[in-house]
Amino acid sequence: MSDERRVVSGTGVTPRAGVGEVVRYDPSADLPDPPAGGVDAGAERERFAAGREAARAELERERDRVAEAIGEEEAAVFDAHVQFVEDPQIESAVHEAIDGGLPAPNAVHEAFADHVERFEGMDGRMAERADDLRDVRDRLVRLLTDGDRVDLSSLPEGAVVVAERLTPSDTAQLDPERVAGFATATGGRTSHAAIFARSLALPAVVGVGDALADVPDGTEVLVDGDAGELVVNPTDEERERAATEDLADIRPDPVSTADGREIEVAANVGRPAEVEPAAERGADGIGLYRTEFLFLDRESPPDEDEQYEAYVEALDAFPDGRVVVRTLDVGGDKQVPYLDLPAEENPFLGERGIRRSLGPDADLFEAQLRALLRAAADGEGDLSVMFPLVATAEELEAALAKVDEVAAALDEKGVAHARPELGVMIETPSAVFVADELAERVDFLSIGTNDLAQYVMAAARENDRVADLHDPLHPGVLRAIRRTVGAGHEGGAWVGMCGEMAGDPDVTELLVGLGLDELSMSAVTVPDVKANVEATNAEAARELADAACAAAARDEVRELLGDPASRRGGQSE
Amino acid sequence: MTEERTVTVVPEDGLHARPAALFVEEANEHDAEVEVGPADGDLVSAGSMIAVTGLGVRGGDEVRIVADGVDATAALDALEAILTTPEDELEG
Repeated sequence: MSDERRVVSGTGVTPRAGVGEVVRYDPSADLPDPPAGGVDAGAERERFAAGREAARAELERERDRVAEAIGEEEAAVFDAHVQFVEDPQIESAVHEAIDGGLPAPNAVHEAFADHVERFEGMDGRMAERADDLRDVRDRLVRLLTDGDRVDLSSLPEGAVVVAERLTPSDTAQLDPERVAGFATATGGRTSHAAIFARSLALPAVVGVGDALADVPDGTEVLVDGDAGELVVNPTDEERERAATEDLADIRPDPVSTADGREIEVAANVGRPAEVEPAAERGADGIGLYRTEFLFLDRESPPDEDEQYEAYVEALDAFPDGRVVVRTLDVGGDKQVPYLDLPAEENPFLGERGIRRSLGPDADLFEAQLRALLRAAADGEGDLSVMFPLVATAEELEAALAKVDEVAAALDEKGVAHARPELGVMIETPSAVFVADELAERVDFLSIGTNDLAQYVMAAARENDRVADLHDPLHPGVLRAIRRTVGAGHEGGAWVGMCGEMAGDPDVTELLVGLGLDELSMSAVTVPDVKANVEATNAEAARELADAACAAAARDEVRELLGDPASRRGGQSE
Repeated sequence: MTEERTVTVVPEDGLHARPAALFVEEANEHDAEVEVGPADGDLVSAGSMIAVTGLGVRGGDEVRIVADGVDATAALDALEAILTTPEDELEG
């Protein structure tokens, strides 16, 4: 083993670098030799059935854990694995192999063999099914042989996991606080491991190929998820740079542009488990606290105290910051079992957001406001409350009247409460046109770019045929943002943005130039956006925004912004 | 009673991870033998995840679903709904 420096290349999947010692990981279970005298077929069939049950239970537990830690979308892969475990073709192939004299684990291995090979031979997404099958097969074999798994959740501090491949369950066990990164021989940007790495902000390189086999256990390596390189035995200089760069990423304090304009950089939060990581990644506060998690996936609405506790917890996580809670935003696309939401021809143009809160869900709205006003008094940080999908000043007036009503009732009962900052989400073209009226009545406006782009461009986000139109860089959307910011400031309200656009590091300068006071995004991109704010000159940014708003077409805007790939330093997507 | 219909698949990535899992689960829930395949090709068992994902069906493809059993209509309705719902709107 030489300690010479060398570089092996693969595909980088996160804009992060990390240094650590290689821990090789091989999850494949050893198969016992089949007994010479054949097997008791009945007993082996029962053993297989029990192993399958155990696998299903394990998959369901992992599914719930991943849904909580990373997200529903990533957890869905475990549903697919459950179906593979229960596949009738596999079952009959296993039974056949058992009848042919094999013990259950060997029979499982054999039953999967042809299918794995067949999927491996196909291209793209199909090859990923081969990974799924191997994952399911190894899980079954392990459970049938009582084999132990290397526990990836308790690796030594600073470990770099090196493996042929990492399954979704493997990757989900990695603790981003301890692990320095991982490298795999197989996989591409869209593989499960890559998606998980991005969710966990882990340095990772995938698709390194055979060269990975020559990287011995215990070697020091630098995983550069940006350049897509694994540096074996990095120089002291490289090591230091990787370590300090990542540390410098986290800016725990509020940041200003180079010429001194302070911009609040906050995180969007969809469930309580995301609050702490947001603080750790240096968010100044929470710019969008979605409350739907409290209401979805259950049979009855949450009570006031349960909500109160969730809000206080978020406020306590940001003692010097602001937490913007959005009141319940359901209807149309989001179903809630106990609300009996009507089927509508155009759900996105139907009864949703504040329209339901002022109509059929008035009781829920009142309970939520009570919980919020109480939390405003008891939590440490500053609470702001905003109303979704407001289209008219009348709706806002009605919502504000409800706040007054709830406050008076709490007063009467002698319950401690405080008046939070109040604001409106700007998502509809109408709200843009009456932004001045709205701003006069509230403390802040927050632009939801996903829905705003959808309504301004009249293009549904889910519809691939018009996906191209659903881009906030179209001058139509940019001018709506500019108009909102101007009207907000004139009315004395601060103006933020909490859509995906706010978290795109490529457009930070443009957004600063458009005059936004606050940007809120997924916690992962907070450090990048904070760094970009510090590198921006507010005056130059304003000129960029002027030019972008004057552009006739999106391509002109893109040209003004420069080539995204080069601006982002190679990080694509 | 045998029924069949032809459906254009909406989820962009076709019958992969999540839509496929829901599809297979639903196929197994009804009192009917269900088969699925390309509009002009051989059919496979809709109750087998390996068989269904092995079809390599993508968004925009036309698939034929054939159901045989007392529950055939309900099975086809439910399966058609899964095939025509964009992936990010699928529940479950």
